[in-house]
Amino acid sequence: LSAFGLYFPRKEYLENVYIDEPAGTPLLRIHTLRDSHGEVAHFHLCQNLIISRARSHENNWFQIREKTGLLYLSKSLDREDFNMLSVGNWMPLSKVMLYVFLSSHPFQEKECDSATRTTVFLSLMNATAPACSSLTARQLCFTEMDLSFHIKENKPPGTFHQLQLPSIHHLCQNLSISYKLLAAEGMPFRYNENTTGVSVTQRLDREERERYELIAKCTVREGFREMQVEVPFLVNVLDEDDSPPFLPNGTDTADAVVEFNRKEGTVLATLAVYDADTTPIYPLESSRKKYTGTIITDDPWMSETFRVEHIFDEIHFSPNGSQVRGTRHEYKLVLNKSISVTEHRSFLLDVLVNDTEFHGPERSVMLHFNVSILPVSIQFPNMTYQFTVNRNAERFAQIGKICIENCMKFRGVNITYKLLSPNTSCYAVSILQGREDKYGSLYVNDSSVLRRPECKEIQYTIQATDKQSRKHTKTLLTVFLEGTLLKKEEDCPDSCAVSKHHGECEECGGLGVLTGRCQWRQGSGKGITTNYSTCTPSIKTCPDGICDVIESKDPAVCPQDCTSGNIIGGHGKGIGNLGIKSGHGICYCFPRQNCYCEKDDIKEPLCDDVCKTVI
Amino acid sequence: LAAPPSPPGQDPHGWRVPVDCVRANELCAAEPSCSSRYRTLRQCLAGRDRNTMLANKECQAALEVLQESPLYDCRCKRGMKKELQCLQIYWSIHLGLTEGEEFYEASPYEPVTSRLSDIFRLASMFSGMDPAANSKSNHCLDAAKACNLNDNCKRLRSGYISTCSRELSASEPCSRRKCHKALRQFFDRVPSEYTYRLLFCSCKDQACAERRRQTIVPSCSYEDKEKPNCLDLRSACRTDHLCRSRLADFHTNCQASFQTLTSCPGDNYQACLGSYTGLIGFNMTPNYIDASITSITISPWCSCKGSGNMEEECEKFLRDFTENPCLRNAIQAFGNGTDVNLSP
Repeated sequence: LSAFGLYFPRKEYLENVYIDEPAGTPLLRIHTLRDSHGEVAHFHLCQNLIISRARSHENNWFQIREKTGLLYLSKSLDREDFNMLSVGNWMPLSKVMLYVFLSSHPFQEKECDSATRTTVFLSLMNATAPACSSLTARQLCFTEMDLSFHIKENKPPGTFHQLQLPSIHHLCQNLSISYKLLAAEGMPFRYNENTTGVSVTQRLDREERERYELIAKCTVREGFREMQVEVPFLVNVLDEDDSPPFLPNGTDTADAVVEFNRKEGTVLATLAVYDADTTPIYPLESSRKKYTGTIITDDPWMSETFRVEHIFDEIHFSPNGSQVRGTRHEYKLVLNKSISVTEHRSFLLDVLVNDTEFHGPERSVMLHFNVSILPVSIQFPNMTYQFTVNRNAERFAQIGKICIENCMKFRGVNITYKLLSPNTSCYAVSILQGREDKYGSLYVNDSSVLRRPECKEIQYTIQATDKQSRKHTKTLLTVFLEGTLLKKEEDCPDSCAVSKHHGECEECGGLGVLTGRCQWRQGSGKGITTNYSTCTPSIKTCPDGICDVIESKDPAVCPQDCTSGNIIGGHGKGIGNLGIKSGHGICYCFPRQNCYCEKDDIKEPLCDDVCKTVI
Repeated sequence: LAAPPSPPGQDPHGWRVPVDCVRANELCAAEPSCSSRYRTLRQCLAGRDRNTMLANKECQAALEVLQESPLYDCRCKRGMKKELQCLQIYWSIHLGLTEGEEFYEASPYEPVTSRLSDIFRLASMFSGMDPAANSKSNHCLDAAKACNLNDNCKRLRSGYISTCSRELSASEPCSRRKCHKALRQFFDRVPSEYTYRLLFCSCKDQACAERRRQTIVPSCSYEDKEKPNCLDLRSACRTDHLCRSRLADFHTNCQASFQTLTSCPGDNYQACLGSYTGLIGFNMTPNYIDASITSITISPWCSCKGSGNMEEECEKFLRDFTENPCLRNAIQAFGNGTDVNLSP
């Protein structure tokens, strides 16, 4: 906002200048609007003409009438001047630019830095002024620039444009050019036929209506000939902060419960504040500063633990049918740090929202967040874990998951799972946990133990510990070994993934198998699909598109989820370029080498007559 | 009055022949008076606006001397060696002088003058097509086939496609930065006869138009979770010399004009298509907003929501993409091969 209230109703003006037009030729008129009654506008030009491509030249040709804002030629622009001003102008059309400054008092010398200015573009036409008869009605009536204006709301009425073009009026005095402004009934604009001036007749309110669309109509009469041109005439109403914040539906309170999700950055609750004024997104920071939200508290714990985040977006209000823009501000109560599982409190947190640029008593509203921080217990569900493991399971076979109560709901709580060593020698299983995993995965660590006849039932104690509070809990785990040992097939590869056919897959075992045999997944066989055919230690875990912590221990377990090598054939890669997300036909892999996805056109040979006789 | 001795770099008509800014900088550095004035001017411009600067005598003097030096009118070439360095030199002078808040900025690039040869190239591209097959064929598919038959085009195209479609993690579908870089390489290094055909092919059905929309892998290079405000996007673009230059070039060559038949400055479609292409791979990357075949609408990934009192300016900025008759005519003319009929 400038210190004084005079302002230009448009940012740019445009006019043509021809070679050898005489000194005194009027070019265009610039208008201003006032902030308060009694202000008088003084116009002033800066000493330099700006030629495009950053050249400038002293202004020897153009002047402006300080009182009326009429820009005119003070010296004729001859061919030599034209050539000089055109140098460095690569555009097909030479343009010079000058700034018109505005002040509410007479200008002192060299005041060239006032904030209130508008830009005048003068197109230098490489010709002498045209004959009026050669100009079209459009050229006689309007310049190329859109008739688009902005008027600030809540300001006194005044004249802001003159439809008649001073240069044309001067040049074509024999023509009769008249204008009309077509406006719907009740629009706050008036056209003065004598001056061709357009004025706004009353203070405007943007919250009532922010855009007026009128039509400027021009009639050119030349003898018996009459031509008419119509162009849109637009007025945008500029906003100022004249509306206080208010609460939609009167809601000023929200519940904020902290339970399983205790992580820094968690949004606990959101309250909205509306404002009929607009709030620009750009520049963002300054708008945030204009509309503040502050936690009201003396308690250092509260100010450390919570913060308020402010976002806002544009919404529409519809007073009396027309749509105007307004703002919805949202204040989010956010955890500023992770909260310990032992914390237990309830309190009311007040946030003061302040519309700092609104001048009035109702500039602020108070928001209330009803905060409850509940403790969460670290305990296992009321039971002991029992798993059965087949004696033929191989290393890295996934037995099951260990999870404390509500473990999957936790965020910001770091639980680690540990197996306490059993006091027998049958130590066959281990537990592993991914970096962000909320559960522990139990897997076979030593398959030779499973084969030992003396190991039948193994008891473990599992301990879960919360990293922050060091709180821990324990439960019992029993692993039963079952099944009879199968004879190992010879010539079987380490990895199930190597097998290419249904038959060979299920004849062999491999790392990660649960029952001594690999499992075949029969895909849908349609194009490149996530449901491709493949051989895997366990259909439940592989391939499921996730390279889990156990699969990543050894590349032979499930290369379908974990490979980072080449995949040959039609395929899509998984997240982070790991694994085969989708494949064509059958996908098989050589661990630490390539994977292949291909359609298997050769059917497995059926048992023919020779075969039958052999059997 | 005797004519002043003509400075180097002027042609016989008194018009300066543009020198590139890297070369101009070398010429200026070799001359003690020029290099000291250049240093002075750069200090004058740092952090001050034009008018304050002009009020200072020393700055004024430096400016006057430099107006005669080749630095003043220097330009850069798209895809030249040291393009970034050239643009840095350009903006070091022009940033302060053009106010930095102008709606349209002049392009730092040399004007595209090689129109005729290009038109012939376009013509030859479309000639030899069987008109009967033409009505059924998918031009965008043909363009992809043509690209795949050229080693350079194929290599750089598959380069950007694989970069732009590589999923990093569940929350990050791709590396936008790398994707943009690969796209810039493709459009800078592959001849426009291939790239324009991919970007501006004409379509008669939706599958074709969708292929056209997908040319730049928009899910990575174009779309984002949220649409920023266009003025915000513009100011971010203007903090980067390359993006700023490409945007200024687009405004110079695609700005709709009332004074020409085609609505394009100088009726130069080639220049407009070139500067449109030059924006791909920056945050101002434009694209087709949908796969419509009846109306071509182009836009950068931004909206005018939340513009406050600048809504008019924002919409004016956006309209130069969405409702620009020059750009639309240029794209359609290229697709239909009608540029050929235009008298030079």
